[in-house]
Amino acid sequence: MTLVQLACQWLADTAIGTRIRESDNLFSVIETVHVLGIVLIAGTIAIVDLRILGILLKRQSVGAVLGSLVKIAWFGFAVMASSGLLLFWSEADKLYLNPAFRLKMILLLLAGANRWAFHRAHDSGIAAWSAPATVPRRARLAAIVSLSLWTGIIVLGRAIAYW
Amino acid sequence: MTLLQACEWLGSSSIGTAIRTSKWGFALIEMVHLLALALFGGTLLISALHSCGVIFKGSPPGAIARELGAAQLASLLAMIVSGILLFADGPLRYYANAAFRVKLLLIAAAVLTGLLSRFRGEAKVAALLSVTLWLGAAVAGRAIGVL
Repeated sequence: MTLVQLACQWLADTAIGTRIRESDNLFSVIETVHVLGIVLIAGTIAIVDLRILGILLKRQSVGAVLGSLVKIAWFGFAVMASSGLLLFWSEADKLYLNPAFRLKMILLLLAGANRWAFHRAHDSGIAAWSAPATVPRRARLAAIVSLSLWTGIIVLGRAIAYW
Repeated sequence: MTLLQACEWLGSSSIGTAIRTSKWGFALIEMVHLLALALFGGTLLISALHSCGVIFKGSPPGAIARELGAAQLASLLAMIVSGILLFADGPLRYYANAAFRVKLLLIAAAVLTGLLSRFRGEAKVAALLSVTLWLGAAVAGRAIGVL
């Protein structure tokens, strides 16, 4: 057993992990909150990406869409991450070995890195993107990557239960 | 044909049989259902928050809902089609499931609220009611698998 695996085993055996796992409804309730958190973050990020690609909300500037939705996305992230942590807590030993879970975590990190790189490269120029044609090619590419990653995250999240 | 007979027919139809006997069919349709839910939830919430004056404060009332209308309708249709296919996996099982029945009632009420709000009424109230009803439908949807 690796050190990480031992840590996961320990986590699942703690009182909180056991409590969630053995309760009749607690796991399902947390899972429902988790899905709603994902809807909040993935739904808003998808709309931002579709705006960058010039598909949705064309009459609003990219900056206005980002400004309006970024707080909702972060709120969704907080809901998703805290509920996800509790779900992981109760099944850490099993999830550590689940390939769908591992891949999902990698895609989440990539989605975060992609977003970070996007803001680093473009934050100073976003105000000038009024017409679709003025959005740089690299920003469009980042939007396509983001949409693909979030699709993968949702698909893999559901796939965890089938493994 | 009663509702129960219609459920029996759908379950034994070739679509129902194909989904039930396929290894990944149900899981794949479930994933489409969830992806559509994410886009639908996003468009619904953003339109509602605009109606309540929280975001896009410079845009006139209804402008954001109109701009997101096509995406919202498309994702709703994707949820309905994938939902019917999931239902076809075991119609009799769902027919008897209390959470499923509550979910259908909440969806009917939510769609009705959305349609009526186009003709009359306070946009803010309709928006909050819509979000609440759809939230209830999502929670009931998760409960189907638990009951």
